[in-house]
This record gives sequence, structure tokens and C-alpha cells, in this order.
Amino acid sequence: MGKLKSWGIRGGVSLGKLKSWGIYIGRGVALLFAVSALSFALASASPINPETRYRLSHPGVSQENVTKMREYWGIDEPPVGRYLGWLGGLVRGEWGMSTTYRRPVLDVIGERFSASFALMATAWVLSGLTGFAMGCVMAAARDRWPDRILRRICLFLCSVPTFWIGLVLLAVFSANLGWFPFGLAVPPGVRAESVTLAQRIHHLALPALTLSCLSFANLALHVREKLVDVYQSDYVLYARARGECGAQILFGHGIRNALVPAIIMQFGSVSELFGGSVFAESVFSYPGLGSALAKAGMDASDIPLFLGIVMISAVFIFAGNLTANILTQVIDPRTKGVG
Amino acid sequence: MAGDADKGSTTSTGSTKDEVTIGFPGIPSGFDPFTVSGHGSFVPLLYSTLVALDKDVNVVPDLATGYSVSDDALTYTFTLRTDAVFSDGEPVKVSDAVFTFEKIMSGASEIDLAVVDSVFESDGQLVIKLKRPRSTFILDVAGIGIAPEHAYGEDFSLHPIGSGPYVLEQYDVGQQMILMANNLYYGAAPAIKRAVFVNMTDEDQQLIAVKSGQVDITLTSATIAAANTVPGYRLVVEETVDNMGITMPVIPAGSMASDSGNPMGNDVTCDIAVRKAVAYAIDRERLCREALNGYGTPAYSENDGMPWWNPESVIETDVAFARELLDSSGWVDADGDGIREKNGQKASFPVYYFAGDSARQALAMSAANQVLENIGVEMVVQGAGEGDMVAMMVAWPVVLAWGSSNPITSYYLFHSASIGRDDWYDPESFGDAAVDAYLDAALGANSMEEAIPYWQKAQWDGTTGTSMRGECPYIFLANKDHLYYAREGLDIGDQMIHAHGAGWTLVANLKEWRWEN
Repeated sequence: MGKLKSWGIRGGVSLGKLKSWGIYIGRGVALLFAVSALSFALASASPINPETRYRLSHPGVSQENVTKMREYWGIDEPPVGRYLGWLGGLVRGEWGMSTTYRRPVLDVIGERFSASFALMATAWVLSGLTGFAMGCVMAAARDRWPDRILRRICLFLCSVPTFWIGLVLLAVFSANLGWFPFGLAVPPGVRAESVTLAQRIHHLALPALTLSCLSFANLALHVREKLVDVYQSDYVLYARARGECGAQILFGHGIRNALVPAIIMQFGSVSELFGGSVFAESVFSYPGLGSALAKAGMDASDIPLFLGIVMISAVFIFAGNLTANILTQVIDPRTKGVG
Repeated sequence: MAGDADKGSTTSTGSTKDEVTIGFPGIPSGFDPFTVSGHGSFVPLLYSTLVALDKDVNVVPDLATGYSVSDDALTYTFTLRTDAVFSDGEPVKVSDAVFTFEKIMSGASEIDLAVVDSVFESDGQLVIKLKRPRSTFILDVAGIGIAPEHAYGEDFSLHPIGSGPYVLEQYDVGQQMILMANNLYYGAAPAIKRAVFVNMTDEDQQLIAVKSGQVDITLTSATIAAANTVPGYRLVVEETVDNMGITMPVIPAGSMASDSGNPMGNDVTCDIAVRKAVAYAIDRERLCREALNGYGTPAYSENDGMPWWNPESVIETDVAFARELLDSSGWVDADGDGIREKNGQKASFPVYYFAGDSARQALAMSAANQVLENIGVEMVVQGAGEGDMVAMMVAWPVVLAWGSSNPITSYYLFHSASIGRDDWYDPESFGDAAVDAYLDAALGANSMEEAIPYWQKAQWDGTTGTSMRGECPYIFLANKDHLYYAREGLDIGDQMIHAHGAGWTLVANLKEWRWEN
């Protein structure tokens, strides 16, 4: 560990480091710009816009009223003008008004974010730890029965959709065993000020477990592959010849080599986490960004909120990948200057 | 058992008998009365309206003790009760009603008051002047919640103040809303003092919530209800005007394009013989059994059972008549493949439904089976995304659902003014001079009563109309029952015949709910 630290300090102030930071920031800005332009274009091109929604749900609407609502939604301006206006607002921190909540987009996102962050962070840590541990177990017992069973479970979890896992967990742990609530982030009917932390965790458990199923199986399989490679290497053969036992080999050689790809994978999975949270939150009526995104996109055509959540997600996914990159270089200096 | 897991919720579901927990689809995103209209909303719970509708769709007094309409039907005068106060203690004044209507008229509201010319206070009464007579205006009024002028502001949507039977105690975005009885309400105090609405849209989740006893009442679907009895709960079956049917374009292909440029018309369904043959070939009772597990009733119009419905729109299944119609108009199965054709055109067309809507899919498939078997017309049932649906429905039959407590829906569904507009109304491009005249007369009538004969004649006047007996632009199939699991002992009162949408229609009369001892 002391070694790791010294690398970080030594590289911290050099010119090369500054240059690579510049490149990262430049890439980030370019990515966000591209995401904003693309998602705005797609949202504008959608055949279902607020007006079709409005007509659908409001029988007998007059043309006069449609004109007024079009002004309210601001959809009469040409798209390029609207995009530039929106982009300018984005930079100034004015993300527009959500047309469904009639409140500033940033307020709505802020509220949803804390719930989502708790959910995703829990799922992320949970999947990272279980995935890595399970990968180690499988590799240590490779080709024997624990490995075979766990590998099948992992392959199964990789191939079933998140919402289905959520429904199964609900059926077993909520309907049959009654251990967990059917959804929400707080118990129904309880005043906000009297909700306890324990109750929040109780409500968080099933959605977080569902969401962690998304990536831990994948991680476990990759860790297993990496470790199996290590076990078949010459230096492990040499270590065995020296008389090192299973645990010594695992901790001395295996984990050290498997850790880097595992960390990269886990940070890279932030995008999957965002994607999966849309389903997990919908199944459990969990009030996070994912369910807000689904509602804004599908039911309500709330374009300002939809685009706002897309941008926030892009920032986080970029940050996840960036962290993976930086950590890789810190942990394994051989990769410096690559990528 | 599961209730033990949450100490907080046991009180609301078990012991105390003046609380109810409702598994509810679609917790609103805010409670601003200007963002919603009609009975399909929180308005009757949190706000008072000048007039209200009773369970038989009669207009009854609410905030207004009475109202009068001038002979030319252009001036409505409402006398307001004097004992009504908002939940913040301020009295409800005529000026609040003026404020409410003017706010809606100024735009940025989803309620359409384009027909209103002016609203003002005169001699302590509320006067509304219309630009032209509108028989349905009083129904619009019944859907408008009166907001307080003194308190309406930026965050009103999340901190609403009304004069209805309930007030908002707590709102957790996307999760739940908790209502409690308004102590200052001028009407009879409701038996249910506290109602917890829990967001629940998935039918499996709804079943889990009742199986584990976590809610007192929740929606369910026909498929789930047919397969699951839940101990301690009864199945509530509410009849509806929530009708599903298939639109049939009445103009030939290529004759025109819609406002957004989509080609309109269909060469098979433009033949009235085909449309009527399909309508008469379907046994709707069987349809309800097969596709809705028996939880539905045959539908013959967009408003079966409402006061403005014409009972003569009911048709008997008559396969012989349907075959005769097709034979005599030249649709015959010459090549023996089981499907008729005429001038090289096969009697075959796709029918689109919203992908994922299993009830509409099942209904359309069941209808298609009968039609193919009985009269040799092929309907190819296919799912489509909503965007595709909007583009295709002016040229191809689609499965739509309607059902409203306002007859104006009929106007927009069948008036020629709706042709080609980019909305969900009249994708069949139906327009008929006689029907237009009836609809115009109905909408422009001086009162609901005067309008009713015209609404009915628009459906069937003895020779023509919008019903399947007449021009048949729309094959009505079934009214879908609304189904709920309700805990034993929960009395949900006399419900008004349910409109489209099973959530708000259920709780509109929450103040009449009670627990039996």
C-alpha cells in the first residue's frame, strides 16, 4: 500500500499529469456536448410530443387552448433556437421547468437523486464485494462442484432481466415470507419526520439486491477467468513448488492480479447501474431518478426533466469510467500513457 | 404477518377503522387544480367545485347552492354558499371563483374554457358569460376545483389549499400521498379520516400487496382476478363505460393526408358492407368470456348506459346477415382460401393495438378469430408502439379505448371537424352531414336535457348515425369491468358508473367510504 501512495504523490504535479487531466476534461466536455445534442435531437424527433399527449388526455380541446399550451411548452420555436436556449440555461444552472411537476428540473432531480444514490451505491458496493468474493471461490474450487453450481447461477443471473428478478424477490420475500415491504422508500402512511433509518434500510434492501444482481454475476465470472489464468501461470507453479498453500497463492498472487480488472469493470458498470435502476425502481415504486426518467419519457413527454436526467446520468457514467481509468494507472503504472 | 415488518403501517391497515390504505396507480405529480380537469383527478377530494355529479350523473349543488341559466343559455349565475372555508381558515369568496376561472382562461392550464367570454362578480353572485351556448358547459364546471386567490403561488402545487372533504397531509413524490379529513369541510364529515395512497402500477405488485395484507384496496386485472382468490379480501367488480373497440377508416386509401402528412384511408374498411359485416359477425358475450375472463360487458357505443346513450345502438349478433351483406356487395371467396376478395382485393387488414396492452390484444385476437371463422374476413392483430400508432391509425384499424362522463367525447369522436387532426379522435375520418347537424345541435343546445335527444340521434336516428346500426365507423367490442381487491369490511359506497381509467373513478366518492363493524 505504501508503494501505491508514493506513485500517486510522485505523479501528482508533473507536467505530463496536467496534460492528461486536460485531455480528460476536454473529452468530458465533448462527450456531454454530444450527449446533449443527440438526446435533444431524438426528443425533438419523437412522434409523441406534449401536444399529442395533451390531445389524448383532454377530450374536446379547442385550437385556442392548444395554442396557449404550445406557448407554455415552448414548442413553436425552431429546434436549433430551442436547443441553444436550453444549452445556455444548462450552463447557467437553469435547467428549465418540469412540465409534469411544474417545478424547476434541478429541484426534482435533487429530490430523486438522494434516493437513487443510496440505492445505486448500496447495489454497487454489494455487487462489487459479492462478485469479487464469488469469483475467488469459483476459481479456488475451479471445475469442482461449488464452481459448477455457482457458475450456473451466475450465467442464469446474467441472462434474466432485472425486473423479473425484482418480481421474484417480491413474490418470495414480500408476499410469501413477509420479511420485506412490497416497495416504496418509506413505510406507507407514516409521517416523514417519524421515518427511521432502519425503516429506510428495510425498504432499500430488496431494490438494492435486485439491482446488484445486474452486475455481480458478470464480475464474478470475469474474476474467475482472470484467477484461473493466474493459477495456470508459471509463477504459481513455482510458488507451489516452493510449498505455498492455497490461501497464500490466492492472497499473494491471485487477488493482486485480479483486482485491477475487477475495479475497472466495477467502475465501468456504473452505466449498467443507471440502466438497471429504471427497471428496479419501477418494480418497487422506488422514487429515484430511474422511475422519474421512465415517467418523463414514456407517460408524460416531460422533455426538460427527461433531458435533465439524461445529462446527470451522462456525468455520472463519465465519472465512473474516468475513475476506472485513473485507478488503473495508479494501481498499475505499466498502463500509464495508454488509452 | 407482513404488517409486523412495518410497525408504522399496521395501524393503518389493521386496528383503527377510520383509515384506509389504497394501492393506487399514478400518484399525481402535483395538486394544482389548474393542471387537471374533470372527475379523473384529485379535484373532488381536495377542492370543492361549484356543482358536482352524483352517482347517476345528475348535476347537484356543491359550493354553489344553486344556479340559473338565462333563456339564451349564454349567462350562468351561481349563488355560492357562505359557510365554506379553505383549509387555511379563510372563507371561500366569489372572488376566488372568479380568480379560478380567469386563471384557467388566461392559459397555461390544461382545462379548456375557450367557450367562456367573461367571468365576474355581480350582487354577490358569480356570473359566467359564454360566447355561444354550450350544453356540456355545466359538466366542465363540475370538474373545476376552486382555488384560493390569496394563497395561490409558486409552490401551491405541493402545498395545495382547497375547501374539499380532504386535505393533503403528506406527499412523497412518486411514492405516496396521505390525505386527511378536512375539519373545516362544510359537508358531512367523512367516515374515513385518513387515506394513504400508495403508488402501485404493476399488477403483480398489486397482488403481492394484498396477499401480504399491506393495503386495504387495490386495482387488479381480469387475468389476475380470475386466477387468484385472496383470503380476507373480496373482489369488487365495477361496471364501466370504459369501452374498447376497433376504429375502421371509412375513406379509400390515398384520398387525403392528415395534418402531419400521414396517408389516410383504407381500401377494405372504406366499404360499409365490410364494416357492418364485421360488427354483426361478433358474439360479444363470447368475447367477454374469452378475452376478459367474463369481467366485461358487450359494448355498443362509446357511452353505453349514460343518460345521453341511445339504447337502439344495441345490435344482435347475426352471422347470416353479415354474410349476406358481403355476398351482395361482391366480397366472395372465389379461390377457396377461407378469405373473401373483391376485384383482386383480399378482405384482409391489420389491426394494431398498443404493444404491451394485453387486454386490448386479447380482445382484438378473439374478435379476429370469430370474424375469420364466421364471415371470411381476416384481421391480422399486431402490436405497435405509440408513435407508430399515431402515424398508422388514419390508414389502418386500431384498438382504442374511450369512456367519459361528458358527451362531448362523442362530438370529437365523430364530427367531421376532427378529420385529419393529429389527435386520437376520429382516426376513421368519419364525417356525415346529418350526424354533424345532430352533434352541433347537441353541443349548442341550451341545456343538457335539450341536448340529449340530439346526442341520441347522432348515434341512430332511424336511418343513419355513428352506431354500428348506422355508418359503423367504429366496431365497439366490450366495456371492461374495473376490478379491485378490497379488504372484507371496507364499504366503498355507491360508485358512479366508471369512466376510462380505474384509479380516480374509484376514489371520487372517498368521503362516502366506511368500515363496517
